[in-house]
Amino acid sequence: MTDELTQAREELRTVARALLAKSGPRPDWQLLAGPGWPGLEIAPELGGSGATFAEIAVIATELGRAVAVSPFLGTVVLGAGLLAGISPAAGRDALLRDIAAGRSRVAVAMATGDDAVAGDAAPFRVQRVNGRLTVHGTARFVPDAMAADHILLLGREDSGRPVAVQLGAAELRAEPQPVVDETRQLAVVEAGGARVSSAAVWQFAGDPEAAVRALAGRAALAVACDSLGVAEAMLEATVSYAGKRCQFGRPIGSFQAVKHACADMLVQVSMARELVSGAAGAVAGDAAEAPAAVSMAKSYACAAAVSVVGKAIQLHGGIGYTWEAGLHAYLKRAALNRSLFGSPAAHRQLLAQRYA
Amino acid sequence: MADLDQFRAQVREWCAAHVPAGWRQAQTGASPEQFTEFQQAWFAELRSGGYAVPHWPAEWGGGLSTAEQIVLYQELAAHDAPRLVLAFISIHHAAATLLAAGTPDQRSRHLPAILDGEIWCQGFSEPEAGSDLASLRTTARRAGDRYIVNGQKLWSTWAMAADWCLLLARTDPDAPKRRGISYFLLDMRVPGIELRPIRQATGEWHFCEMFLDDAEIPASSLVGAENEGWQVAQATLSAERGMTMLELAERLGNAGLARLIETGRQAAGGRLTAGGLIADRLAAFDTEITGLRAMCRTVVERHDTGRAGPADASVVKLFYSELLQRMTDFGTELAGLPAHTELEKPLSGSYESGAWLLDFIGSWEWTIPGGSSEIQRNIIGERGLGLPREPAVTP
Repeated sequence: MTDELTQAREELRTVARALLAKSGPRPDWQLLAGPGWPGLEIAPELGGSGATFAEIAVIATELGRAVAVSPFLGTVVLGAGLLAGISPAAGRDALLRDIAAGRSRVAVAMATGDDAVAGDAAPFRVQRVNGRLTVHGTARFVPDAMAADHILLLGREDSGRPVAVQLGAAELRAEPQPVVDETRQLAVVEAGGARVSSAAVWQFAGDPEAAVRALAGRAALAVACDSLGVAEAMLEATVSYAGKRCQFGRPIGSFQAVKHACADMLVQVSMARELVSGAAGAVAGDAAEAPAAVSMAKSYACAAAVSVVGKAIQLHGGIGYTWEAGLHAYLKRAALNRSLFGSPAAHRQLLAQRYA
Repeated sequence: MADLDQFRAQVREWCAAHVPAGWRQAQTGASPEQFTEFQQAWFAELRSGGYAVPHWPAEWGGGLSTAEQIVLYQELAAHDAPRLVLAFISIHHAAATLLAAGTPDQRSRHLPAILDGEIWCQGFSEPEAGSDLASLRTTARRAGDRYIVNGQKLWSTWAMAADWCLLLARTDPDAPKRRGISYFLLDMRVPGIELRPIRQATGEWHFCEMFLDDAEIPASSLVGAENEGWQVAQATLSAERGMTMLELAERLGNAGLARLIETGRQAAGGRLTAGGLIADRLAAFDTEITGLRAMCRTVVERHDTGRAGPADASVVKLFYSELLQRMTDFGTELAGLPAHTELEKPLSGSYESGAWLLDFIGSWEWTIPGGSSEIQRNIIGERGLGLPREPAVTP
């Protein structure tokens, strides 16, 4: 059973890598919908394939390896992840069906920095004034909101209870938030007192606070996967370059200074892979240790990726610093990943609560 | 899985009943005789429980599955059991050599004896053959049905307590470096062996220099074919399949991390604040140890299914040894001046004693022997990543 699962995941990885190599860095969403990536975790009766987060992790890693521009984080990791935890509500299943079919792209407006893990991930307020519900609030750095067909807001009711709110595009203000990394598409989403019907305020099925934490954890882990992919790609590129580039009459990879730096990159990548795969298994199995495993994977893999890409640029020498060589895109993505959904320090702060 | 849970419960029960209370105190400042006696007693205890040589084939007294061995080492670490330090070479390298390349006579002579407490040491390194082991110079000259051995060995751990020695010596002085080396079982009681303990940086005496002056080895104690000792050594060095690293990683992740957190708590005035500098460093070590333990399990499982990577062992050894050094360094810093007042650490453990400075100094015992960190990085670069070798220097 375990071997079959492992084998199935390796096949998914192989297919994904080939597809992304062919599509280039800006794959069409329909192309990714073809093999069923948007609906990986969605139930079969809604058109998905009923897989687990372990399969999501495979795709997230490959997207990072390809530094691909894709709404996977917004639509699949956050959107489908959020909807899966919502009590049955009008429109919920239709939306999941549309996501699975690749017809709809979704964004979740929530906190995406340190506040996502160490504070409050639900920044909107759903207020009842004179019997009418209104929504206020702002979420910055919202992934994939500009191209989304639906934006779901993560907010709190007057009672403090977290809820999800579905608002029409006309009732929200979304502005692109340019960042140095051009491979991620972020936006500022603002709701300035828009009226909302109670049917559009969706309740979580279980403990809502735990659901919000779990959603932020999924996102953090998906970003850790992305960073693992970024680091893998840079290690391979560097090893290949160091084996070919000659100076002083020999390949630079034969010099210990270069070889040892590559060895250190492999060690970091291997360690990141262990932590990420352990956390993906824990999240997929809804294990009690999942939150700690996610924080370990996120803090280690995202820091390691920045270090690995940095070494890659250094070992490529002058060419590595050029725009044309493209290594800069990996550094920028790795650096953004490190901050998205909780910095290494924020995640270590969560871990350290166990020592108090 | 249920069977494994049952096995874990069984090991836990055994540990609760058999791990000697207060062994760390008793082994602090212990004499060599007290150390040897305690090690032999703990070995006999483990043997009676069926846990001394879990990795051996069932016909020789082992037979635990890989998954059970992992559970065993996890539980021994969780119960802060003593470690088999003295029998280490015997149950791992000597047994692996005998099982992989020994004759039926050699196996039946030594494997049961090891279970009865026969102690082995290793005679590989020499003054001029450390990282470059293949340049070893000790010779074994064939004379009828015997070999006459002359030379000098270095860094033989616990050689003064050993009954037997795994010896590499040159049998063909004209062959290229790696050819011409043979692998022997040397009886440490024969005439012509002189041992001189080497005091190490910690002040302890675990290692010996070994002078071989016309020491005789019967031809029946040759392992594998003459001049093929290098291949035998290579095969048996990896024969422990990562299980000993798993054991050490588990010890570091249990008693080691718990002591570091406790030391950190004391340094923080009794209470650790999440977000504080000390708590941040502790969480980083916690993370790295978790990754190391997972990697050790992965490597063991890969060995088991024949998928071991060519640099797996090097990645684990490099990461473990440098993590150990950073952790014990941090422990020393946290403990402050009191760390300098711990003049002795308990024997029979590894690097989780809480005597941070002595464990820190001792950590070079991991970054240098068994292929230094620099050699490990060469192996990772060349075998793991396929980078070009350094051009040989032509005289």
